[in-house]
Amino acid sequence: MRGNNFMLRHFGICLLLMVLGLFTHCKQETVARKIPLEDFFRNPEKTNFQLSPDGQQIAYLKPYKNRLNIFVQDVRGKNVRQLTNLTDRNVGFYCWANNSSLLFSPDSRSGAFLYSVDKEGKAVKELFADEKLNIKLINWRNIVSNELVLGLNKRDSTVFDAYKLNLSSGALKLLEVNPGNIFQWFTDGEGNIRMALASDGVNETLLFREYSDSPFKPVVTNNFKTKIKPVAFCDNDRTCIYAITNIKRDRSALVQFDCSLGKETKELYSHADVDVNDAEYSYKKRKLISVGYETWKRERYYLDNAASSIYKELQKLLPNTETIIADQDTAGSKLVIRTFTDRTQGAYYLYEPSAKKLNKLTEINPSIKAEEMCQMQAISFRNREGNIIRGYLTLPLRKDPVNLPVIVIPHGGPTDRNSWGYSSEIQFLANRGFAVFQLNFRGSGGYGKQFWISGFKKWGTLVQDDITDGVQWLIKEGIADSKRVGIYGAGFGGFSALNGLARHPDLYACGAAQSGYINLFTYLKAVPPYYKPTLQMYYEMIGNPETDIDYLREASPVFHADKIKAPVFIAQDSKDPRVKVNETNQFVKELRKRNIPVTYLVKETEKYTLRNPENRYEYYTKLERFFEKYLSNK
Amino acid sequence: MIIRKFSGKKNFVLNVVFLVLIAASLVAALTIAYNFTSRYVYDEFEKKKTEVVDETIRPYNDFFQNKIPEISLYQGYLDPSSALKFSKTVLKQFPFVSRVIFYDTEVSNHKTEYAFRVNNLTIAPKSIAQFYRKQPDDSVLLYNINSGGRPIKYINEFNRVSVKLAAFLQSFELSKSTLSDESLGTFYNVTNNRVTFMNIPREEEIKAFKQLMDDNLKKSPVYQQDVLSFLLDPAKLRIKNIHPHFYQKIAIIPLTADIIDIEPEQVSTEFPLTGAFSSYKLHFTSSSDFLSDEILRRFFPLAVAILMVYGVILTIGFLIYRNLNINNKLFKLQYDFVNNLTHEFKTPVSVIKIAGNNIRRATQLTDRERLHYGKILDEEADKLNDLMNKLLSFTQIENQAIKVKRENINLEVFVQNMVDTYNIKYKDFQMEYTIRNVEHFYTDPVLLGSLFQNLMDNAYKYSLPGKKELVIDIAHEKTDIVFRFSDKGIGIPKDEMKNIFKKFYRIQSEYNQQGSVGLGLAFCKELVNFMEGDIAVRSRLGQGSEFTITLPYNYAG
Repeated sequence: MRGNNFMLRHFGICLLLMVLGLFTHCKQETVARKIPLEDFFRNPEKTNFQLSPDGQQIAYLKPYKNRLNIFVQDVRGKNVRQLTNLTDRNVGFYCWANNSSLLFSPDSRSGAFLYSVDKEGKAVKELFADEKLNIKLINWRNIVSNELVLGLNKRDSTVFDAYKLNLSSGALKLLEVNPGNIFQWFTDGEGNIRMALASDGVNETLLFREYSDSPFKPVVTNNFKTKIKPVAFCDNDRTCIYAITNIKRDRSALVQFDCSLGKETKELYSHADVDVNDAEYSYKKRKLISVGYETWKRERYYLDNAASSIYKELQKLLPNTETIIADQDTAGSKLVIRTFTDRTQGAYYLYEPSAKKLNKLTEINPSIKAEEMCQMQAISFRNREGNIIRGYLTLPLRKDPVNLPVIVIPHGGPTDRNSWGYSSEIQFLANRGFAVFQLNFRGSGGYGKQFWISGFKKWGTLVQDDITDGVQWLIKEGIADSKRVGIYGAGFGGFSALNGLARHPDLYACGAAQSGYINLFTYLKAVPPYYKPTLQMYYEMIGNPETDIDYLREASPVFHADKIKAPVFIAQDSKDPRVKVNETNQFVKELRKRNIPVTYLVKETEKYTLRNPENRYEYYTKLERFFEKYLSNK
Repeated sequence: MIIRKFSGKKNFVLNVVFLVLIAASLVAALTIAYNFTSRYVYDEFEKKKTEVVDETIRPYNDFFQNKIPEISLYQGYLDPSSALKFSKTVLKQFPFVSRVIFYDTEVSNHKTEYAFRVNNLTIAPKSIAQFYRKQPDDSVLLYNINSGGRPIKYINEFNRVSVKLAAFLQSFELSKSTLSDESLGTFYNVTNNRVTFMNIPREEEIKAFKQLMDDNLKKSPVYQQDVLSFLLDPAKLRIKNIHPHFYQKIAIIPLTADIIDIEPEQVSTEFPLTGAFSSYKLHFTSSSDFLSDEILRRFFPLAVAILMVYGVILTIGFLIYRNLNINNKLFKLQYDFVNNLTHEFKTPVSVIKIAGNNIRRATQLTDRERLHYGKILDEEADKLNDLMNKLLSFTQIENQAIKVKRENINLEVFVQNMVDTYNIKYKDFQMEYTIRNVEHFYTDPVLLGSLFQNLMDNAYKYSLPGKKELVIDIAHEKTDIVFRFSDKGIGIPKDEMKNIFKKFYRIQSEYNQQGSVGLGLAFCKELVNFMEGDIAVRSRLGQGSEFTITLPYNYAG
C-alpha cells in the first residue's frame, strides 16, 4: 500500500517536471532572441560599390584603421588594392573619373578638398586643398573628355562660380560667373553649362540657354512651394528638358518641359496618389530609363524596355527582395545591384544581364539575420477630420499584437516622410519588444503639395493632432496598451515628442527627443537676419514671430515644462544652432525641479552626432534603458 | 532592642537626606532647563531671521531666476502687444513688480533717433511701452519711432543697459571669445528697486554686433533685441513670518533707517535683503513678555518630562523603602517568635529540670511523690511534644508537604468527640453545637481536627473565667459547608483584625502571657487555604468573636 502511494506520488512529480519542461521549452521558442545592441549599429564592412566605366574594376569603401578608405578589385574579386590611406577622416565622396583613375574627397564640413588617384593606388594627386573654399561637383556622373565641371566659391565666398577642371593637367578655367543668386548649375551631355537654378531664398528661377555662348534667360519662377527639378536635357530638341515638377499640379510628375515657351509640353509619368520623386537618365543611351515614386514603398516605372527586362530578370533571381541598380558600367553589361527588404539591410551583387549571372559582393551587415527581424507593415487610419493618414507599424517578433508597449516615432522635417525598408533603429526597438509606430502626418513630403502645405504653421497643433489620432487608433485597435505608449523622435520628431508630452500628458508614459526643437523662436532665430527671403519662407512654414507670437509660444515645449508629467529623455548637441543648449539645460532643470525623471545626454564641448559607432552605442544603450524602465512594465 | 532603635533613627535620617537631595536636584534641574530654554529662544530669535528673509525674498528669486530668463526664449521677437501679455503674467504672479517698461530694441549700424551709438553700432528703441496694474489703454505706448513721443524720461535706463552691452562687445574677441556664463551678467542691470534685462543674444549675433561696432560696413540688417525694465516696490514684498513664535512684528525698512526701541522691554534684530532690494532690510521685533511666553511654552513640556523622571525615581525609592520595612517587620516577628518559643520551651524544661533535681536529691521517694513527679514529667513532655508537632506540621503545610487522606466523616460523632475531649480538659468550658442540613463530610479528619483544636483552644484562651462559652454551628450552604465558632471572649480590636492570621503575630494582651506562640490562627489559615476554603472573623471588643470557616462540600459522596 505504502509503496504504491510512493510510486504514485513520484509519478505525479515526474508529470509535473515534464509539463514544466515542456513549458520552458515553449517559452524559449516564443521569445525572440535579444540581439546585441552593437550588431544593429556597427559600421558596414564594405559599401558604396562603383564600377569603372569599362566594367572591369569595382571600387568600394571599406574601413581601414576605423576610417573608410577606397579599395579596388577586378570584377572577379581578385587583385584587391587599397587606394587611399586616410586615418583621420573617412573618404566622404569618390567616383570613377575614367577607366584608370578615381576622384575622391575626404569627409569634411567645410573646405574644398579634391584628389585624384590611379586605380593601382599610385599617383595620388591633389587637385584642391583649400580650407577656406567650398566645392560643388556638377557633372561627376558624366565626365566628358577628362574635364570636370564644378562650382567653386573662389571669387566671392558667398557664391559658386562654375569652373572647368582638366583632370590630367589640373588646369582650372572659369566658365560662368555667378551673378549672386545661382545655387545650382547643370551641364548637358557634352559638358556645356546650359541651365541653372537661381534663388532669392524663397522664389526659385530656372535659367536656360540654347547654346553655351548665349546669355541665360529666365524660364519660370516659382514660389518655394512649387518646384521644378531638372533631370536631363532632351536629346532631339535643344529647348526641351526632362524635369520633375509640381507646377500647376498637386503631385509632382515627370514631364517634358519646353524652356523657350516656359511650360510643360508633355507629361511622361505621374501617379494619382504620390509625388514622382526621381528619374533615371542614361547618358549612353541618351534616354530616360525609369521614374521613381513612393507609395507604401519605393517603386519604379520603367520607360526603357531593356531596363525593364533586366528588372524582371532580377525579380526572378531575387524573389521577395527589393532591388536597386546602384551602379553600372557605360555599356550596361555589368551592374552593381543593391538589395534590401524591411527585415534586412541587404547585400551588394554584381550582375551581368547577358549571362544572367548574379555574384554576391558583400552582405551589408552579416550579424543581422533577416528571420530575426520584424516585419514593417504599411497601415492607414483616418484622422479626426476623416482624412487618411498613412504610416507603418513594426510589431515585435513572436508576440500577439495585443496590448503591446508602443513607441510612436514622428519623423523629422517635418517635410520628410517615413519609408518602407530596413531601419536599424526601428528593428532595434522592435527586437527589444516594442511595437514601433511611424506615420506620415500632414506636412509630410511625397503626398503632394497640398498635404505638405497643410502642415505649415500647424506644427504643434494639427500635425500633433494627427499623431495623437494615430496613437488613439492604435489603442482602439487593441494593439497598443494605453498605459505604455512612448513617443520619440529627432529634430522635428523630438519637437513632436516633447509637444505631445506637454499637450497630452495622460497619453504618453514617457518621451524621448534627440535634438528636438524645444523653442520655435530659437529655431527661427537660427536663420540670420540677412537671409531675409529665407526668413520669409520660414515665417510662412513655421510662423512669423511678430504676428504669430502666441502660436509659437503655445507650440514651443520650452514654455510648457510645467505641463509635462511623464519621464523625459533628451539628447542634445551642444553646438546645434536650432536648439540652444542653455535653453535645454533650463528646460531640464525645470523638469527636474518638479521631480520628473530626466535622462539628459549632452556633450558640452563636442558636437553630439551619431555618425561614429561609439556615440551610437552610448546613445542607444541609454535610450534602451529609458524605454525599458518606463514602458516595459505596467 | 538597641539595634532596633538605632536602625529606626538611621532610617529616618536617611529618608530625610534622600528627600532633601531629591528636592534640591529637582529644583536645580528645573532651573537649568529653564535657563537653557531661555537662551535657546534668544539664540533662535537671532538665527531664524535668515529663514524669514529667505522665505520673503523667495518670490523675487523665482522672478529673477526663472521668469526673467524666459524673455530670452522669445529671442528678441517681442513687440509691445506680446510684451504686454508677458508683462501681465509677471504683474499677476509677482505683486512686488509695480511697473514694466518695455524697449523694443533694434541693433544695427543705422543712425536713428534716441540711439545709443558706439563707433558704428547703434542700439536704439523702436518703441517704448509701459505696463502696470489697472492701466488705461492709452498710457501703454510711450514712444514709437514712427509716431513719436518723448522717451527722454525713460531713455536713461535703456542707455545704462546699452553701455553694458557696448562695454562687453569692446572686450569681446571675435576669434577667441565665446559667451561664457560669467558674461551673462552683462544683460542684467540690477539697481535699487529695479531690474532691467536684455534678452541674451546668440553667439552669432554677438559676433555680428562686434563686427557692426568695429567695421564700417554698408547698411546692415536690423537685429531684434528686447529690453524689459521691471520697477519693484519693496513695500509689496509679502513678508512671510514662518516663525510667528519668535517674531511679533516684521517690517521692511530702508537699510539706513535706525529704529530705536521705544519700549525698553523690546528685543529686536535685523537682516539685509538682497538683489534689487539690497537697500532694504527686515526689522524683527518682539516684546520680552512675548518671548517669555515662548520660553514658557517651550519649557512646559521639558518641565513635565523632568517631573515625570523624578516621579519615577520617587516611586522606585518608595517601593524600596516599603520592601525594607516589610523585611524589617518580618525580622521583628521572627525575633518575637524565637523569644516566645524559648519561653514556651523554657517552662516545661525548667519544670522537668526541677522535677529531675528533686528526684535526684531525694534519698527515697514515696509512692505519692513518684506518681506526682511521673505525672509532671509526662505532662511536660506531652507539652513539648505538642509544641514540636505544631511547629512541624506548620512547616509541612507551608511547604505543601502534607498528604491529604480523605474519608467520610460523620459530623455528629466527630463534633461530639471533640466536645467530650475538651470537657474533660477544661471543666469550666461551656460548649454547644448545632448541625444543619448535613450529616457527613468527606475530608481529612486530622486536618479538620487541627482546625477545631486551634479554634476551640483560642476560644477558651481568650475568654474571661466564667464566660468561657463556645457555640459551634455547622451548616450546609449552597456548595459549601460552613463552620461557625462563636465565643463570648475578649474580642479582637479592629486594627488588629488584619494581622491575626499572620505568622508569629500575637495580640499583645494580658491573656496570652503563656502557652501561645502566635501560630494558631496562621496555621488555621494555611490549613483552610490548603483545603481550598476560606476563613474569616467578625469580632466586637469585650463581647466576643466569631470565626467562620467555609470549605467546599463537593468532596462528599
